[in-house]
Amino acid sequence: MSEELPELNPVVHGKLRLAVLSLLIAVEEADFTWLKQKTGSTDGNLGAQMLKLEEAGYVSMEKRFAGRKPQTMYRMTEKGREALAGYVAALKRLLGGHFQ
Amino acid sequence: MDGGTSRDELLQRITMMEAMIAEGRAFTLKCGWIFVLWGLVDLTAMGWRYLMPHSHFAGHWAWPVCLAIGAVITVTGRMVQRRSERSKSMRCHHVEAVWNMMGVALALFVAGGIASGLSWQNSYIAGILMLVGMAHAISAVILRWRFQGFVAVVWWVGGVAAFWARSWSHVNWIMFVEMCVGMIAFGLYAMVMERRAHE
Repeated sequence: MSEELPELNPVVHGKLRLAVLSLLIAVEEADFTWLKQKTGSTDGNLGAQMLKLEEAGYVSMEKRFAGRKPQTMYRMTEKGREALAGYVAALKRLLGGHFQ
Repeated sequence: MDGGTSRDELLQRITMMEAMIAEGRAFTLKCGWIFVLWGLVDLTAMGWRYLMPHSHFAGHWAWPVCLAIGAVITVTGRMVQRRSERSKSMRCHHVEAVWNMMGVALALFVAGGIASGLSWQNSYIAGILMLVGMAHAISAVILRWRFQGFVAVVWWVGGVAAFWARSWSHVNWIMFVEMCVGMIAFGLYAMVMERRAHE
């Protein structure tokens, strides 16, 4: 590929992180178990990737209880939305006419 | 971007993003039962007054009692449902907001009508039917669900017809049809669709 092509955000570009951000962009909030089910990931791997997204400021986490069961809820932040939008824009430039 | 990212990998990323976004947007709200409930609540209140036309208690309290019971069951049921909801799509959030605020407006409208003694007027019934029709219409636009759009029209036709009802008996018939078609039948259909979507 050409040297003048834009850089893809490495935090967003990770496959599982990108899947999570794509899920969260469409929902108000989602819990860890739902994200794990939709991405087909393991607890450990998803937990590690969610931590990276939290550290980057792309998602926020809230722990609460649903009845007596603890629940970890995630939401996308404004910074996360901008990062994903920037990633999509970079993809468009990289892929040109192939991107709808 | 590292040198190892090929065009195919990027296209795969796009396909994956589209699939995940579609998963997130899926409408997961199970609310058909609420329409069935309110259809039954309203028919119960109407039936109570019809069967006991000379009862002072039925005349004044049939609707407030039935509506209060309906409200308690709805709130309790939604609280139980929310505990098991693991995600809420933005579409669910928007549709819920429409119906929650319609419920508030309707509660105030009905309370005002009953308290002021003006609930016997055709325009009062027309207002209720128009409000519910509007909520259905907005919901139909958000969900792009033509069937619900049709149901909205049914409510609006009933609302307009209420202005021309010559007697309270005619108004009751309009209400009866709206409850059966616009509430119970729609609610049952929604429950069937929800069940199919989750299978």
